[in-house]
Amino acid sequence: MWRGYALPGTVWLAAFFAVPFYAVAAIAFGSIDPIFRNARPAWNPLSWSFGTFADVLGEVVNGQLRDVFVRTIVFVLIALVLCLMIGYPIAYHLARLHGRMKSLILLLIVLPFWVSYLMRMLAWVNLLQRDGLVMRITAWFGAEHNWLDGSPTTVILGLVYGYVPFLILPLYATLERLDWRLVDAARDLGASPRQAFWRVTLPMSRTGMAAGLMLVALPMLGDYYTNDILSRSPRTEMIGNQIDFFLNAGTQPQRGAVLVLVLSFVLACLAWWYVRDNARQQVAR
Amino acid sequence: MTRRLSRREFVSRSLVVGGGSIALAHLLSACGGGNESTTQLVIGTPDAPVTLPTVGEPIADGLPLESGTLQIYNYADYLNPETIAAFEAAFGVKVTVSIYDTEEVALSKMRSGSIKPDLVLGLTDSVLARFVAAELLQPLNRGYIGNFENVIAGLRDPYYDLGAQYTIPYVIYGNGIGYRTDRDIDTSVFVGNEGWSALWNPAYAGRLAVLDSYRDTISMALFRAGVFDPNTSDASALSTAVDDLVELATLTNPKIDILSYQEIAGGGRDIALCWSGDMLAGVGYLPEGESPDVLGFWYPEVTPTANDFFSIPRASTKPVLAHAFINYLLDTEVALGNQAYVGYQPALEALTAEALVNAGAIPESLVGALVTPERYSAGKRLVSLAPDVDALWLDGWTRFTTG
Amino acid sequence: MTAYRSRALAGLTWVYIVWSLLPVLIAVLFSFNAGRSRSVWQGFSLRWWIGDPNASLLHDDSLRMTTVNSLVLAVVTVVVTLPLGTMLAIGLQRWRGRGAGSSSALVSAPLVTPELVLGAALLLVFTNLYAAIPLGRPAQIIGHITLNLSAVVVTVRARLLMIGSSYEEAARDLGASRRAATRLVLVPLLRPAIVAAGVIVFATSIDDFIVSSFLSSGAASETVPVRIYGAVRGASSPALNALATLLVAFSFMGLLIGAGSMWWLRRRAGERVTLRQFLDEVTQADA
Repeated sequence: MWRGYALPGTVWLAAFFAVPFYAVAAIAFGSIDPIFRNARPAWNPLSWSFGTFADVLGEVVNGQLRDVFVRTIVFVLIALVLCLMIGYPIAYHLARLHGRMKSLILLLIVLPFWVSYLMRMLAWVNLLQRDGLVMRITAWFGAEHNWLDGSPTTVILGLVYGYVPFLILPLYATLERLDWRLVDAARDLGASPRQAFWRVTLPMSRTGMAAGLMLVALPMLGDYYTNDILSRSPRTEMIGNQIDFFLNAGTQPQRGAVLVLVLSFVLACLAWWYVRDNARQQVAR
Repeated sequence: MTRRLSRREFVSRSLVVGGGSIALAHLLSACGGGNESTTQLVIGTPDAPVTLPTVGEPIADGLPLESGTLQIYNYADYLNPETIAAFEAAFGVKVTVSIYDTEEVALSKMRSGSIKPDLVLGLTDSVLARFVAAELLQPLNRGYIGNFENVIAGLRDPYYDLGAQYTIPYVIYGNGIGYRTDRDIDTSVFVGNEGWSALWNPAYAGRLAVLDSYRDTISMALFRAGVFDPNTSDASALSTAVDDLVELATLTNPKIDILSYQEIAGGGRDIALCWSGDMLAGVGYLPEGESPDVLGFWYPEVTPTANDFFSIPRASTKPVLAHAFINYLLDTEVALGNQAYVGYQPALEALTAEALVNAGAIPESLVGALVTPERYSAGKRLVSLAPDVDALWLDGWTRFTTG
Repeated sequence: MTAYRSRALAGLTWVYIVWSLLPVLIAVLFSFNAGRSRSVWQGFSLRWWIGDPNASLLHDDSLRMTTVNSLVLAVVTVVVTLPLGTMLAIGLQRWRGRGAGSSSALVSAPLVTPELVLGAALLLVFTNLYAAIPLGRPAQIIGHITLNLSAVVVTVRARLLMIGSSYEEAARDLGASRRAATRLVLVPLLRPAIVAAGVIVFATSIDDFIVSSFLSSGAASETVPVRIYGAVRGASSPALNALATLLVAFSFMGLLIGAGSMWWLRRRAGERVTLRQFLDEVTQADA
């Protein structure tokens, strides 16, 4: 009977999640119409051809796509570090706080979740315009910097602004459940607050941190609209932009499909590594 | 959250999911549509005009006007909202406009059926051959377009569509460089063929843009290098042009979009490769109180010059209304009103450069952006490319845009 | 126990909150700008909301259409995803047979898939295989449901684990059939989680951009985020800010409705309800 409960949902996911991925593969390994360049998927795995796949892979390893991939990874890493540096102290503070203020602050921190990502980016674009507030403040300090001129800094800061709330919540959830008595014990044994933090709190929160970082890294690697809204320059092109270009500008769906597969593979590896690492940690405990 | 899987379990589960998907896909592919095409591209050039194959029948004469909503597929800001409102009022219908960013997107979306407009504006002959090959357009019935006589004589029988079966000209324009006169743009280089190099000037880094159109931007690089063929299939010339563009990207960090008509007027950028109509349209995007003298345009001696057109899709649900819309916009007064917002020069006989200036539609500083008959005949046309040549151009474009 | 007091961190938290929320507040403020600029304040006016006969939210038909599209999409998604996901969660929890593991893996997969990949895969499948389903609203609905199904399962499952099977067993001991026990005992106990899931699905759907834009078919199926995205890079008026404010308002409305429902449910069950508990529930559901 329970199978009957689960069946509709499972069939749905099979039809609209699993099959689409297979369609991506069928298109990536199929052929294209020479005139219109639309995809001709090859449904039978036996008739798959790997020419385009090999080409794109070659470009990823050693061609124009390599720069894009490397750049995406670098952007995401920097953004993650910044997110952590901003998010961890906030989550820590929130977890340690008690009393009425806590509810208020928690509410204020959860609030960005209910504000659309686009609205938050729009808000920043308005501020960063030539005649916007940020420009006027920096001009007052003497510096003349055009934020929207396609600099990687703007895009990275945009990513940080956009994703930091997604890191704070899991971190908070982990830190909230921490056994603070262990920290007290460390203090009783003579550790300074700083030592207690570095040697007790931080290691205890490592799994939560890793989970939170994973939760943020995955969507960030597929992000393309942050760059599109804040920059649109070749200098900040991310892998998501390439996929969007190939698929939505319509000209090369096969290349788009291949890139989707490559990206999915990279992400799957990341997720796999995380799961293995997590499992190993649990065993070690 | 997840139990640890043993390797065997993982493999067997993947096989189950994978096998299930494959089976499902095979079942469903029987219902899926196939995209076959064995057609040839019929490409007209100025030297070898061509009559396009007639696909389908034009609509019958004397049909009544439909009611309801007319779906137009168009570039952004390429029709005056007031003109649309006037048409809605005059014909008692509603009009919605869907936007496309590039012709390639328009082709792809119309081909896949994701978009089914009743009327398409803004296509050019660089994409017409493929539209016809994909049987996306219907032959027009000129009986509904009485104002056809208003069209510029030289464009009534264009080389890309002899007999004007599928297309009616909309606007004419030329490629050049738009810039702000009140910033530090060195206008002394805008002479002969030298002006293109302004786009490589590192002093303009961060406030410069090129067009998000692979044909126009790569042609610009070709012209700068002295190769005045915007349809070239010469792989080495293309490769050099793309190398130059990559150099441009390093030197000036350009934006790549078609928004210069707003951005230059709005002050967000100072110089850009753009179409002549962009600068004319820019007048409408100046902040309140700013004089149009801040806008300038360099129209090179040798540059791509073109017109785009109206066309009606075969699957149009309101063909009579679509014809009526085209006819409406071919009226000189209406076209003048439309031009006030869109900026581009309508392809009408009566609206010559002098006529527009006399009507007060063009500010003094931008008279140089107008297309005169001499400029039009001296201009180079961007025609459709054969698929393999097109692939060359596209690969080069990808190389440029990935930075 | 050492008391926790860190002024530095408290200060940092407030700075973060301001940095996080102030730009949005400013954007909302500018929707009431009297002039055309989105960055220079030119006076207060309701022009972009109801005043301007062409470009205001009230009068611009296309803006109204996008708003309706967003709402319809969100409501339909919630209505379909909640039952489907709840049943899936219950079924998965109890299913002890072959296929349960694969099904469970299938449910976890969308959670780790970036939306870009999902959107791209759906676009490719709708244009090459499921040709019977047109792009536009039908495809968008399917996409949104797929996007949110796993989130519902996770939320409901968490609650299921907490509830355990004792209540149902008691009901069965008293003579109820398995089906009745599930329907009359388990589901009501799950209501808070279902409501929380509904709130999240509504907000996700309203704010969703990638799947909606990949599967859109032009102006008729544009949603508010897609519209904002298209306009933010171009010229636009503060009507854009007004539209974005509306978007935020919808999310909050969903949140309020959900909070209200949970409060009402809890009161009916006789439990005490505090704001803190509600926030905890929501953050657990999110994390």
